[in-house]
Amino acid sequence: MTEIVAEVSSLLKQYGNLRAVDGISFELYEGEVFAFLGPNGAGKTTTVEILECIRSLTSGSARVFGYDVTKGEDVKEIKKRIGVLPQDFSALDKLTVKENIDLIGGMYKKKLDTLKVIKLLDLEDKAKERFENLSGGLKQRVGVAAALVNDPQLVFLDEPTTGLDPKARREVWSVIDNLKRLGKTVFLTTHYMEEAQILADRIAVINKGKIAVIGSPQDLISKYGGRKILVVRKGSKELAKILQDKYGGTMLNHGGDVVVKVDDVKEMWQVLSTLTDMKMDKEIEIQAPTIEDVFLKVVGSRITEEGELK
Amino acid sequence: MIRPLVVFLAVTKNWIRSRSGLFFSIMFPVMLLLVFGAIFGGGGGGAASTLFVQNLDRNSDGTTTQLSSAFVEALNSTKTFAIKDVPADVDPKVWARDNLGPLGGNIRIVTISKGFQDDVLNGTFKVQVGISYKLFNQTYMYFAQSNETLRLVYEQGLAQMQLYNETLPDTRTSLTLAFDASDQSAAVIKNIVINVANAFNYHLIGATSVIEFKEESVTSKRFGAVDYYLPGIIAAFIMTNGIIALTSNTTEFKRRGIIKRLSITPLTKFDWIIGNVLSQTLLSLMLTAIMIVVGWIVFSVQVIPDVLSILMIFLGSVMFSGFGMVLGGLVKDVEAASALGNAIAFPMMFLSGTYFPMEFMPSYLQSFSRVLPLFYFSEGLRYALIYRYTEGVFINMAVVSALAVAFIILGSVVTRWKEK
Repeated sequence: MTEIVAEVSSLLKQYGNLRAVDGISFELYEGEVFAFLGPNGAGKTTTVEILECIRSLTSGSARVFGYDVTKGEDVKEIKKRIGVLPQDFSALDKLTVKENIDLIGGMYKKKLDTLKVIKLLDLEDKAKERFENLSGGLKQRVGVAAALVNDPQLVFLDEPTTGLDPKARREVWSVIDNLKRLGKTVFLTTHYMEEAQILADRIAVINKGKIAVIGSPQDLISKYGGRKILVVRKGSKELAKILQDKYGGTMLNHGGDVVVKVDDVKEMWQVLSTLTDMKMDKEIEIQAPTIEDVFLKVVGSRITEEGELK
Repeated sequence: MIRPLVVFLAVTKNWIRSRSGLFFSIMFPVMLLLVFGAIFGGGGGGAASTLFVQNLDRNSDGTTTQLSSAFVEALNSTKTFAIKDVPADVDPKVWARDNLGPLGGNIRIVTISKGFQDDVLNGTFKVQVGISYKLFNQTYMYFAQSNETLRLVYEQGLAQMQLYNETLPDTRTSLTLAFDASDQSAAVIKNIVINVANAFNYHLIGATSVIEFKEESVTSKRFGAVDYYLPGIIAAFIMTNGIIALTSNTTEFKRRGIIKRLSITPLTKFDWIIGNVLSQTLLSLMLTAIMIVVGWIVFSVQVIPDVLSILMIFLGSVMFSGFGMVLGGLVKDVEAASALGNAIAFPMMFLSGTYFPMEFMPSYLQSFSRVLPLFYFSEGLRYALIYRYTEGVFINMAVVSALAVAFIILGSVVTRWKEK
């Protein structure tokens, strides 16, 4: 992560009294997968569309590859260098996969061979299939292929897995992983915690137009994720009392499991050692905090499958 | 220039592969041409109009009189009517209604009054005496002035004839035609009945028409009715394809984010509009060719497009595609686009003289028609295809070209390539 690909400073986007984006600042580095994680209406798509030069900004600045997104001539240069998978991607229904990619490719002077892109996205079998006949996951893959046809340095993927089933979602993850391997810089927006945690090098948690926290998943988890948890399945009141007396932070949940919160690895080993001494033959599970815990900590709510705060 | 061509190829392929698009853009106009041609083409074989005739002029034995029967036969000989006799002792309106049934169509009743034969004979005789008197009077003026004997004979004869004529009753007989005021064909039927009555009159008094009626075409070729309708139908459907289909397609592309996706590429909105206009123009030329071929095969139409008419079709298509892009740029959802397109296209179709002559309309509507783009396109196309009236084509072409440029510029202004 060396060169800055995009730079946003005090970006503000206002619709009447509503501040969709409220003075955010961040940078995007070459070769990284940067995730914007937030609920619906957080300002993710608005920010991305400002960087894609299809939405105007109210104040602040946004530069992509050093070009200003508000200047006509700069916009032309930016559009040549970016690839985009918009939210709810769609294409011409009656055209085939190849024809739809050709349509997007036809807009660029410099472009990759369509068949090469199709192969890259593992769409060879579907190249002659009409877009209307594809599944949701395949449609998204066509969208990614269209985003790559101009061989962009920066790829925007706006909610690429929303509405997809788990299998299709994992297919798209694999595609994003490949983009990273190809050295592309990826700007991903999502409301799926797991997706951000698995794919992103850095995550910005955004809510109500403001960035709450920004950093690598590991940093965010260690900083905001809270303690690790050790669960003894089907424990007992007595066991819970012993561990509570010795380490604190222990409780017996409704399922009869004993849950112990530990501060660090050393304390975890101590708990495990105690359990070994007691010749416990219960099933033990260690749960590490996740980005979801980070989100809960910094935003104060969770996000539903549909992307709403709860 | 490559980007508009890429758009043109993509949207054209997308349209050609769409069954519903193909149906409404090509098949529906062809079907309408077939229907129009069948109705107005004069191909014959149509069902005769039902005409109820109640003959009240009867002999003492109840049979109809010779002259009244001859009149009914004269009506029948026009082959326009399917004559149905109404009994003399019934209310003809009630009888006709019951006889036709609830779905039977329009009621038209001719009533031949009682005493028709006597009145016709008396009236005819009086007319003949009057004609003879006039003839004698003219010859008297010409021949008898110089000959005293002849003059006296003439004067005596003329006095006798005048005296005799005054003793003859001034009889006229009447025919009654009853019809529904909403009956669109009643005026035509009335004229046919009047013509038959006049011919019957002439025949009885032994007169023949001295004015010979000849019919000629104002065009160099002898065109049929369908030839005259064809330019109007073509113009109207090029208009609907532009205003309704293109507007709906554009809003659909907008709704599905396809335009947004393209706007992220180096494609400009002007490129997008030109690509769509080119696609619509190809569609219009295809539509024209298919309509003419179908018209040629089914109705033997003789219109052959020349360079001017093809240019007119091109410009008309550009104009209405531009119009469609303006509407597509203004309207957000597909339902509103369809409603707006229909609200503009259908009145324009009927007010621009494409389906029926503008002379049928009140003068204020005729003035209004002259501000409608379809009027100039339709007129220009008719001048080009039928009348070969170059000056007329150029005047309309100039208006259409100016509107085409204006709509494309306006379309570029209202099409949003960047979100607010």
